[in-house]
Amino acid sequence: MTFLSALLAADTAKAAAPAAGSSGPLGDIIKLFGDFGVDGPHLLVQVINFAILAFVLYKFAIKPALGQLEERIRQAEQLQKDRAAAEAQLASAQKTAEAQLVAASDEAAKILADARNSAKAAIEAARAEAQAAQTEVIAKAKAAIEADRVKMMNEVRGEVSRLVVETAAKVLEQNLDDAQRGRLNEAAVKQLAR
Amino acid sequence: MSAASVRAEAKRLLAMSLEGGVVSADLVGAVLAALTKSRASHQLRPLLRAYLANVRRELARGEARIEHAGPLAAADADAIAAHFSKVLGRTVRPVARRNDALLGGFRVRVGDDVTDLTASLRLANLAKSLS
Repeated sequence: MTFLSALLAADTAKAAAPAAGSSGPLGDIIKLFGDFGVDGPHLLVQVINFAILAFVLYKFAIKPALGQLEERIRQAEQLQKDRAAAEAQLASAQKTAEAQLVAASDEAAKILADARNSAKAAIEAARAEAQAAQTEVIAKAKAAIEADRVKMMNEVRGEVSRLVVETAAKVLEQNLDDAQRGRLNEAAVKQLAR
Repeated sequence: MSAASVRAEAKRLLAMSLEGGVVSADLVGAVLAALTKSRASHQLRPLLRAYLANVRRELARGEARIEHAGPLAAADADAIAAHFSKVLGRTVRPVARRNDALLGGFRVRVGDDVTDLTASLRLANLAKSLS
């Protein structure tokens, strides 16, 4: 501040001398500026101050702010890109999901149809098996009944035959006399001789 | 003595007891007398048993055992024996026994051969064929 004050004082003293002795349009202009309080040294100091201020502002305020702004812009652009990519990915995922859903639906329908067909086939097979088993059981029962019937008939026939023969033997034993038996013996002897 | 040697010895003794193909009582007596003298008692018992079976079998081979229902004339019995003598090629004598359970006819056993011409057998066959 001391240096600036001294410089201003020197410049003011030096400017006062030529201004007093000069004339013409330039002098008028200078005088006019002087009347308005604008003189060279002050202007120079102001310019220097402004330059320093501008430099400081640029260095520590504007430049970081611009950097941040650019970073924000870059981030916004990146965000925009990410968003677009996410939207595209989302659309793709939705499309994939829809396709998978359709495929799953088709698959489910196919499985359901297969299951129905399998169930129908199983029911038909079980029905056929039951029918076959029923037929077999009936056939076996018929065969067993027939076998029992034949067996009973044979037993009855044998029993009747046995009773008939026993009765005939008893009747013959009681009714045959010696003469008849003698004739039978003679017939047997003749049969033996033949 | 083993069973096989006993059978062979009994067979040999039976051959010694035959006279003209028929068992002779004298020869059997001589064989028994010789056996009792020459053999110990523990050897004699199985040999005598086998010899007795052979003699019985041989005697049965020479007999026509006729079982008959009702009366059987002696001529008929002789005719039966003659028939079997002719068939078997050796002399067979008739031994008749009455059995009215046979109903009619007769059954003849010569050795192990049986000829059945009885009414009871015919009835039994009839019952078998009907059952």
